[in-house]
Amino acid sequence: MPDPVLQVEDLCVSFTSGGVTADVVRDLSVRLDGGRTLAVVGESGSGKTITGRAIMRLLPRGASARGRIVVAGREMLSADERELRRARGSDVAMVFQDSMSALSPYLDIGAHIAQAVRLHDPSVTRRAARARAVEMLDRVGIPEPAGAVRRFPHEFSGGMRQRAVIAMALVNRPALLIADEPTTALDVTVQAQILALLRELQREYGMAMLLISHDFGVVGRAADDVLVLYAGRQAEYGSLRDIFEQPAHPYTAGLRAATPRLDARLDTGGERTRLRAIPGAPTSLRDAGPGCAFAPRCGLADQVGERCVVEAPLPTVRPTSEGGGPHLAACHLDRLPALKEVAR
Amino acid sequence: MSEPILEMTDVSKRYRTAGGFGRGRKGFLAVDGVSLHVERGEALGLVGESGSGKSTLARMANGLVVPTSGTVRTDGQDIARLGRRGLRRLRRNVAMVFQDPLASLNPRQTVRQTLENVFRAHGETTSTAELVALLESVGLGADYLGRYPHEASGGQLQRVAVARALALKPDLIIADEPTSALDVSVRAQILNLLADLQRDQGISFLHVSHDLAVIRLYSDRVAVMQRGRIVETGPSDEIFRSPQHPCTRALVEATPEAELPA
Ligand SMILES: Nc1ncnc2c1ncn2[C@@H]1O[C@H](COP(=O)(O)OP(=O)(O)OP(=O)(O)O)[C@@H](O)[C@H]1O
Ligand code: SF4
Ligand SMILES: [Mg+2]
Repeated sequence: MPDPVLQVEDLCVSFTSGGVTADVVRDLSVRLDGGRTLAVVGESGSGKTITGRAIMRLLPRGASARGRIVVAGREMLSADERELRRARGSDVAMVFQDSMSALSPYLDIGAHIAQAVRLHDPSVTRRAARARAVEMLDRVGIPEPAGAVRRFPHEFSGGMRQRAVIAMALVNRPALLIADEPTTALDVTVQAQILALLRELQREYGMAMLLISHDFGVVGRAADDVLVLYAGRQAEYGSLRDIFEQPAHPYTAGLRAATPRLDARLDTGGERTRLRAIPGAPTSLRDAGPGCAFAPRCGLADQVGERCVVEAPLPTVRPTSEGGGPHLAACHLDRLPALKEVAR
Repeated sequence: MSEPILEMTDVSKRYRTAGGFGRGRKGFLAVDGVSLHVERGEALGLVGESGSGKSTLARMANGLVVPTSGTVRTDGQDIARLGRRGLRRLRRNVAMVFQDPLASLNPRQTVRQTLENVFRAHGETTSTAELVALLESVGLGADYLGRYPHEASGGQLQRVAVARALALKPDLIIADEPTSALDVSVRAQILNLLADLQRDQGISFLHVSHDLAVIRLYSDRVAVMQRGRIVETGPSDEIFRSPQHPCTRALVEATPEAELPA
């Protein structure tokens, strides 16, 4: 087996404020090979962004990470600033939801990309870096790239800006791209184009992609494997097929049932206008008790009983479809009953 | 047949802009000769890409934005001709729910104060029992009366915003992206709540969204907007089964399904 591009082992991230330290991500383990896309799915506060930032070693003030993160053979948590600078860009790059925040309003698009090139390799001349920028803009589908390098971020539409940010992230051919909700702020038609572009570049560069999203629709289009987070913990991990066709965690099944679908009438007993909602609201790890963080919202907790409330379930192996990779779910139930009973 | 609850005829809105930029030189034509109606008890979904004019159209429907030309009638009455009394009645009958509940609620007011203010603005008083019943109708307990916006989650705040919209028993609710800022599981709760209000209380809806799956689930009829115009309209099932206009087709094709690709 080739070495994975990304390996995360027992990652914990905690925040300290006012002398109190609390975990927001706990015991996360992930393995991702080149050329593959792992989607990280979860609701707000589940720890998706924090996980992405931990891998980049770009955590906000007050946060610290424990465990092990290896990107393209480099130990990220013990790397010093110099190594990190080298890693960012050439080993791992990140694209965010809000493309404007990644760009300086005072620099033209070409300068942004050229800067990324020269940061990675100072021996490249300004002129050559600028030429790389034009090439890269062309590659991400920006029309008239020679003129576009001289435009400023605000002169671009949201979709074009996201393309430029992708060009900036990929110009040094990183082994791993972390894309945090890269299409959430965009119209559906543009969203589809950007996802297609990411897939295409990934194939061309053989890059691994960690795609952070709250949207199963986006995940279904782009992912090979899926990691579902709930309150900072791994709820379920599996191939796209297993996650969609035989989810083993009540939260995964619930999320899928709560997602409006264009293609089908939902099985709602004749009433087309009702979704199967999950009661309550997502919580963070900080608010979770000793048991399963999903217990207060879980329609199956009663079937299991007290165990759900007192003991946090660990990921255990679940059935996989033919050719599927590992399938894990952190739930005390061995088998998920039919969907109807999942949500309260 | 009774008159539609909302009827917009050949409505346009031109915004003044500094440089001659956008659709036409004399300002920006955000809505361009649109006619649409919402029947009593009906949920009409308005879809389109960002910038297509959906929100401007929705705001003209309740008088928040004054049309450059054309007429808007609610309950058969031309809202341009309403006097002060009539306008007040319009505000009662047509309520609005916005995308960001936190921005639409006063951070310094408790839920009780927010709701009481709605009644006060219409010269009415209310009782705690009434307020509790109102909160219950949107699935919130009485303990929310004393809470400030920062003490509630996004979904709970959107429920408060819906409660505020319901306070004066409106005939029509205009909801502009009411669920797009919410988490998937919470979004489903709010969509169900809106659907229940339509079914149980006979409230009509103009539901604006860029999300076709949400609109399909929730609307009886759909209007598709592109560059200030309505390019296609029809029953929800028909529009999504066989979209006719290229714009509708592009939207349908681009909408990702929470399904395995074939
Ligand atoms: N700067 C910070 N200080 C303290 N806590 C934080 C900070 N940033 C994030 N958190 C907490 O860490 C947890 C995980 O947050 P994170 O931003 O990773 O969530 P997310 O899954 O990306 O959510 P969203 O879908 O809203 O982007 C949350 O409970 C959040 O409140
Ligand atoms: S462990 Fe219990 S509460 Fe948690 S998801 Fe499984 S059944 Fe539900
Ligand atoms: Mg995030």
